[in-house]
Amino acid sequence: MAESGEVDAIALECLAERTLVNALRMREANEEAGFDPRLARRLRPLLPHAARGCRIVTNLGAANPSAAARATRRLARELALPALRVAAVIGDDVMARADAVEWTQPVADGQWIGAHAYLGLDPMVEALAEDADVVITGRVADSSLVAAAPVQALGLDGRAVAGALTAGHLLECSGQISGGNLTEPNVPDLDADSYARLGYPVAEILRDGSAVLRLLEGDPGRLNVVSCTLQLLYEVHDPRRYLTPDAVLDFTGVRFEPSGHNRVCMSDARAAERPDRLKVIGFLARRGTIADIEIAYAGTGALARARLAADILRLRIPRELGLAELMIDLVGVDSVLGAGSRPLAAEPPELRVHVSVRCPDADAAQAVEDEVYALTISGPAGGGSLRSERRGRVESITGFLPRERVATRIEWTDAP
Amino acid sequence: MDGRAVRVGDIAAGRAGDKGDVLDLTLVAYDRSGYDALVGALTEARVADALHRVVPGPLVRYDIPGLLALKFVASGALPGGVHASLRAGLHWQKAAIWLLLDLQVDGPQPSLPSLALKGE
Repeated sequence: MAESGEVDAIALECLAERTLVNALRMREANEEAGFDPRLARRLRPLLPHAARGCRIVTNLGAANPSAAARATRRLARELALPALRVAAVIGDDVMARADAVEWTQPVADGQWIGAHAYLGLDPMVEALAEDADVVITGRVADSSLVAAAPVQALGLDGRAVAGALTAGHLLECSGQISGGNLTEPNVPDLDADSYARLGYPVAEILRDGSAVLRLLEGDPGRLNVVSCTLQLLYEVHDPRRYLTPDAVLDFTGVRFEPSGHNRVCMSDARAAERPDRLKVIGFLARRGTIADIEIAYAGTGALARARLAADILRLRIPRELGLAELMIDLVGVDSVLGAGSRPLAAEPPELRVHVSVRCPDADAAQAVEDEVYALTISGPAGGGSLRSERRGRVESITGFLPRERVATRIEWTDAP
Repeated sequence: MDGRAVRVGDIAAGRAGDKGDVLDLTLVAYDRSGYDALVGALTEARVADALHRVVPGPLVRYDIPGLLALKFVASGALPGGVHASLRAGLHWQKAAIWLLLDLQVDGPQPSLPSLALKGE
């Protein structure tokens, strides 16, 4: 995309809701860590283009944008790009003000790992206005991350900002607007080669807040009115009031018009007020662990043997281990949609018994794993191909903090 | 059903998402008649019945006629969020849209005058 020469800026959205948890743990162990460990891999091919004027805005900073900016500087030096201007956006970490956050769920029972406010456009626009080539953030709203460069470059305000934020929201999941995670009635899905080279979307933002969404020439994918509509409404809950740090967006009047192959025009995004409070995401470690284990059965009678193994575990885990919070099902039959699964039409040639158990501690998790492993010699014939994992119980809790309690600043990482 | 039942996924595209403990489902109909069929058939009660076989919690429907879209938002459907789930692996909820796509509904009404008396 950078090589195409067609884009003025690239946004790299790399921070899922939970990615911050790993980053916070890395930062705790090492104060120069805590940014996305993929930073060098992601930015190495892009920095030469940034030096030629294609701006990069990214949340690769995760829990430590400051250290991420220093790492980016080192990378720039390594690539003989000493003049690159790298800015870090600081201020999303609000752990120190967790007591002032209005949490939407009880938070007494657990240990805080971190709390981060979703920052908006302002600090990114400010950094770009001061000629940053690369802007590195921690937690910012994805739509704002994508919209920052066009808002700054075009000097957008009012309704045009609503359009840029809406385009940002449309682009923030990359391939999910251009054929990824898409199946349409009566239309064949994309083929493997198209998925394997799936084009990521480009938005041409216009001053009136409308935008042309498209793929680059030659990129495979499917960007049409349906894919745009699905992405517009993706995870927004109330489509009349999509909360971003910069505006409450109303998507109900948005219009999409087809405008050629893999090309759609978007207009009529509206915004209500700028919210007084910023959304905060807090991570709370609860006591205990989830043990998630599978054992496979294959060949004639696999289904009956798997069901038998499942019944044995249903008997033994509560009775012998005293653990009552568990889920046991069959991978390939009903482990994803549970009771909502379609009925089984024929015996699968192989399948896996899955068991997950909520355990108070590591000893209990070990005991559950032992129960499943014991099935290989004391259970139905041929149980094998076991796999197991343990997940800590970290919950993501949403809260709100008055905007004035979240102070942001730009940190410049100048050439040494 | 009147014998012209169709699968939701044959008249609409859909996608599941989530935030925290909220399950967020979107359907986009292929045309106006499909949208009208979905609006009539997929009441909050009907969809809540389908979802409650799998997840708990109250359900709200949002209609977006300008985009031929319906949203179904289930608060508290994913208690503790994605990572507190006892299902195998992580992010099972990405598949949850098939709880809606695989429902059968009365098909879109053909625009024939003779069928205008349906239901009488």
